[in-house]
Amino acid sequence: MFFFILTNNNSNKMFFLFILFFSTLISISSNSWFGCWIGLEINLLSFIPLISNSKNLLSVETSLKYFLTQSLASINFLFMILIKFSLLKNFDMNNIISIMMNSSLLMKMGSAPFHFWFPNIVEGLSWMNNFMLMTWQKISPMILLSYYFNKNFLIFMIIMNLIIGSLGGLNQTSLRKLLAFSSINNLGWMIFSIMISENLWLFYFLIYSMMIFMMISLFFLMNMYFMNQLFINNMNFFIKLNLLINFLSLGGLPPFMGFMPKWIIINFLLINKFYFLTFIFMMTSLIIIYYYIRIIYSSFMFNYFKMKWVNLLMKNNMSLINLSSFISISSMILSTFIFM
Amino acid sequence: MCFNSFFFLFFFMLINFFFFVYFIMNGLSVFFEWEIISFNSMSIVMSILLDWMSLLFMMFVSLISSVVIFYSKSYMNSELNLNRFIILVLMFVFSMVLLIISPNLISILLGWDGLGLISYCLVIYYQNLKSYNAGMLTALSNRIGDVMILMIICWVMNYGSWNYIFYFDFMKNDYVMFIISFMIIIAAMTKSAQIPFSSWLPAAMAAPTPVSALVHSSTLVTAGVYLLIRFNYLLIDMFFFKVLLFLSILTMFMSGISANYEFDLKKIIALSTLSQLGLMMSILSLGFPDIAFFHLLTHAMFKALLFMCAGVIIHMMNDIQDIRYMGGLSLYIPLTSLCLNISNLSLCGIPFLSGFYSKDLILEMVSFNSFNLMVFILFYLSTGLTVFYTFRLIMYVMINDFNLMMIYNLYDEDYIMLNSMFVLLFMSLLSGSFLSWFIFSYPYMIYLPFNLKLMVIYVSILGSILGFMVSNMGIYSLNKLLLSYNLSSFLCLMWFMPNLSTYGLSYIYLNFSQILFKNIDMGWSEIYSGKGIFNILKNYSVFYNIYQMNNFKIYLFSFILWFMILFIFFFI
Repeated sequence: MFFFILTNNNSNKMFFLFILFFSTLISISSNSWFGCWIGLEINLLSFIPLISNSKNLLSVETSLKYFLTQSLASINFLFMILIKFSLLKNFDMNNIISIMMNSSLLMKMGSAPFHFWFPNIVEGLSWMNNFMLMTWQKISPMILLSYYFNKNFLIFMIIMNLIIGSLGGLNQTSLRKLLAFSSINNLGWMIFSIMISENLWLFYFLIYSMMIFMMISLFFLMNMYFMNQLFINNMNFFIKLNLLINFLSLGGLPPFMGFMPKWIIINFLLINKFYFLTFIFMMTSLIIIYYYIRIIYSSFMFNYFKMKWVNLLMKNNMSLINLSSFISISSMILSTFIFM
Repeated sequence: MCFNSFFFLFFFMLINFFFFVYFIMNGLSVFFEWEIISFNSMSIVMSILLDWMSLLFMMFVSLISSVVIFYSKSYMNSELNLNRFIILVLMFVFSMVLLIISPNLISILLGWDGLGLISYCLVIYYQNLKSYNAGMLTALSNRIGDVMILMIICWVMNYGSWNYIFYFDFMKNDYVMFIISFMIIIAAMTKSAQIPFSSWLPAAMAAPTPVSALVHSSTLVTAGVYLLIRFNYLLIDMFFFKVLLFLSILTMFMSGISANYEFDLKKIIALSTLSQLGLMMSILSLGFPDIAFFHLLTHAMFKALLFMCAGVIIHMMNDIQDIRYMGGLSLYIPLTSLCLNISNLSLCGIPFLSGFYSKDLILEMVSFNSFNLMVFILFYLSTGLTVFYTFRLIMYVMINDFNLMMIYNLYDEDYIMLNSMFVLLFMSLLSGSFLSWFIFSYPYMIYLPFNLKLMVIYVSILGSILGFMVSNMGIYSLNKLLLSYNLSSFLCLMWFMPNLSTYGLSYIYLNFSQILFKNIDMGWSEIYSGKGIFNILKNYSVFYNIYQMNNFKIYLFSFILWFMILFIFFFI
């Protein structure tokens, strides 16, 4: 993000970045619901300048769409807070007001069934803005979700997330939309983990954001936005390998890093006899791994596809790529040495 | 390598001979035992039983194998890897010796499996398609016997050790012994190529001729008979022995008939071996194990000699094995035809050659003890058939006109091959009488009426006349085989039984599996798992995309809609 801001010669945006960070902190560490709402509003206000770029019509349209949905969600959130204060003086969570509050927070995050804006907006943003949208913007709604949630409602939402994230991505060719649907799917896992414990959610979120960072930085360096761009440039073997490993790790394949949080969540599911939910988690993961592998296998396996009439040289900065491959492959095994 | 192994085996033969004479004169038998491990209730021991029977058999095996190795120095001299061949033959002899001297089922298994495996390696020695098929047939038929022996080992564990010879007296009427006897009979039948498993022996003629001389005439195929001789005390009044009688008589008869239709020299000799094996098995199952052993040994001598002569003839005929190309050879290769004639006549049972002692004794025992009519008829008929195909062979090979080429060189003076054949010739002349003086300390009492005694001679003369008449072919001879085509093909192709082992085992299953593969693997399972699920998911994704590609106001409106739905849904 910093690179992007600095390379675009627009360091005014650094200011908004800092306010973005602070807004999340305000939101999650406030005493009352009102403070949470304030944090969410400042989040919205500071993110809009980051993504809007008046020279680009698509950017403007994207930021307008983002503003509309998020403000709708904030309005709803404020309204439900006020209703909760005035009508309900209790602490139990599984009632109708929690449904409404959770719905508005889910709309903030881009979770199903309020997710229709998410792939559209992700399509209109650049890679670094996408990274912000997919990782940082999820923090405060998630944590607010954990303060007052309705269990049955959330489980229903999780199932919808998983299914829509897996089925929606099957028919996509744009890499941004693909990662958007993958993000919706991972939102399902994250919502479930935050229902278990916040520590587990933090673990999942950190690993998820690390994986997303590795992927997005790879796509950003190669300036790739669509699937057919995978074959045009001369990726050398290690970049392709890194891409493969990151995709498989994101899909949750052992022994890569992305398997670890999913494994712990499955463990919890099975111990507490959530068998049907486990089944849905597993099957949708399979569909997601299918379309990850579909992206890279034709560029990576023995007979790989390579266009030779366009000969673009790529700057191959190997150290970052090597480091990220190493982390993806070995971190699960190394963590067993450290932590167990 | 050849000379070394020849001398070693010859010397081994002499040692065995002297020990045999000493043991049989003094009635000794020696039993070595080395207990390797005793585990829970089983003792795994390595034991060696040396009594006169095993020493005699070892002597004959080592004699034949030494002569065969000496012979193959000249027969296979154009072979690049002759050392490999000799090593295989030596390993074969080693497995056979292990089988002979063991009173213990584990070492029998080692010898038995070794025999099966090495005979496979020897049959596929010439690496062409015919040898591969023959080797596969041989190995798999023998494998059935191996499986039977493995199961016997499993069942004998009931008794505490694998030395079966100690249990025959005490456990004769036990249920376990019943199962064991059934399985041992099947194992012996696969090795000795009796009726259901008889298709491998003519096919195994794809092996080199020294291999046929050693393996398929005297040692491998007699391993089954030897095993039954060892187990004879157990099996002697069991029902399965009568089944074995039936099957071995039929084997004898069938192979005698099929040999009359064959035109391949080695196949005729193979079918003749099969017929004599049937004879051995049948006299064994009638209750005379020592006569069976006697016939086994004499048959080994002249059959090995016959194969060696066939090898010389095949070499001379430019590697052609078809007897229709041969003729008049008695004029040109006197020494080889001497050996061929003596072994053929010994096979027929001409008086006072070696085969006469054993065959005549067998036939007289069959006549003397009252068995049923079918046994009697088939024995004599098979003897007649033996003479029939023998004389036919002699007419085709020796007496009729030479059919090969205008210019030929029939070279007989290969003294390496001839010397090896002379050794066997000497034994084939004398071994009958020599063995009968040793083995039978008192002769059998046989009292027959005059015509029954001459019955052998009657069928022999009849067979020889028929053999002479069949092989008289001229320019205008009618091909009688085509006149009775169905009957002839039934009799010629061994009563269609090889199809049981080859076509019948593969066609039905392959056909069925093709149907399964087309309908299930490439049919319904694709619809229900691979391709079908992919189509379903793709359609779902396309369907979802209809909702995803919309105006923004539709999205906002959908949010309101969802709110209301969730409100109502969870409120209720």
